[in-house]
Amino acid sequence: MFFFPLLFAALHSEGDRELAERLKRREPQAMAELYDRYGRVTYVLIFRIVRNTGTAEDLVQETFLRVWNRMQAFDSEKGALGPWILTVARNRAIDYLRSVDGRMAQNAFELETNEHPSLFANLETEVLNSDRARRLKTAFEKLTANQKQVIELAYYEGLSQSEMADRMKQPLGTVKTWVRSALKALREDLGEALAV
Amino acid sequence: MTCEHLKDEYELHALGLSEGFEHAEIEHHLRQGCASCRAGIRNALLTNVLIMQLAPDVEVPRGLRKRVLASVGAQSTDWGWRAIWATATAALVAAVVWLGVENRQRTDYTAEAKQTLAILNGAETRQVVFGGSVPVPPQGRVLVNAKHGVLLLASNLPKPPAGQTYELWVIPKGGSPKPSGLFQSDSHGSAMYLSPTPVDVATLGAVAVTLEPAAGSTAPTSTPIIVAAMSD
Repeated sequence: MFFFPLLFAALHSEGDRELAERLKRREPQAMAELYDRYGRVTYVLIFRIVRNTGTAEDLVQETFLRVWNRMQAFDSEKGALGPWILTVARNRAIDYLRSVDGRMAQNAFELETNEHPSLFANLETEVLNSDRARRLKTAFEKLTANQKQVIELAYYEGLSQSEMADRMKQPLGTVKTWVRSALKALREDLGEALAV
Repeated sequence: MTCEHLKDEYELHALGLSEGFEHAEIEHHLRQGCASCRAGIRNALLTNVLIMQLAPDVEVPRGLRKRVLASVGAQSTDWGWRAIWATATAALVAAVVWLGVENRQRTDYTAEAKQTLAILNGAETRQVVFGGSVPVPPQGRVLVNAKHGVLLLASNLPKPPAGQTYELWVIPKGGSPKPSGLFQSDSHGSAMYLSPTPVDVATLGAVAVTLEPAAGSTAPTSTPIIVAAMSD
């Protein structure tokens, strides 16, 4: 069963603007609305990564606190709240996995930089619609087992291609081919609007 | 390397997973203001968000909303829990009254208990709080776990002045306070805050809380309102 609540939340971009303004004014009740809008999708993603209820709860709390504390840097006019929150959530969960595994990745710094609020300005959130969600799900199901595995290792375990090659005991070139072909298939099915 | 060669790496770069030469090249293009790479990374962010949502649905634990809101001082409007507390409180009062009646061999106290309940349940009953003007110092507890961080549970916190917030500090023995997160209290002056950063318990001297500007401080700028010293 797959879940695309952010797609519906993305339809409320007008509401997001007003909500972001209230969050910037540090109105505590705005946090309640933020949680009601994005709490579920955040928990679902984090739980998929850490697979532990207690840890997932801790990381959801940390995610929302991080957003709350960094709200001043968010552009409420142009920013996309949902994609930002999900990126922060994934980073927290991947960071946790790495600390547990004792693998402080060489690219740990990127986890901090790839969630800066300024990156989420001017995102075309209207491309997040249910049609594309269905197409993505169908496209994912059509991937080969190896392609699915590398996508899951990247998105849900935070492994780089070198780390995937070690984990899967496969040559780096082979892993790169699987990753590129998988992303290409998903990108193509998402359509031209997401294509570069 | 051209943007055409780099475009297959955009998603991994946006995830913080690009490596080596490709990573350096994308960073170089972005620093140079390459419009194509900027647009590519933006699109990759959206693609990534869609892929992240392939995660299978699971049930969200009850109480998580309340916990998240409490950490920033927002009140939960979770009426389900309120109803549970109200029911539990009423049951407790009824049990206490019933036990009292039993122990006193159902004498005149029955009438007194009925009267007590009548007051508690009466819609026309008015309530006046006393002793509220007497300042009560903050109290609570700090729980420290080497792996999971610091959990602060506090009550009687003074209302922060406008533009200020609480900041938690982890203070190593003989060291400088380390900023460990910002939080707000609720309207009753209570707060629960988790700082999930692992702590070196062996060298931990104290956990403290100060009032700081809303954006937080890198070092305390006011006298701590809470200091929880770790005993050896």
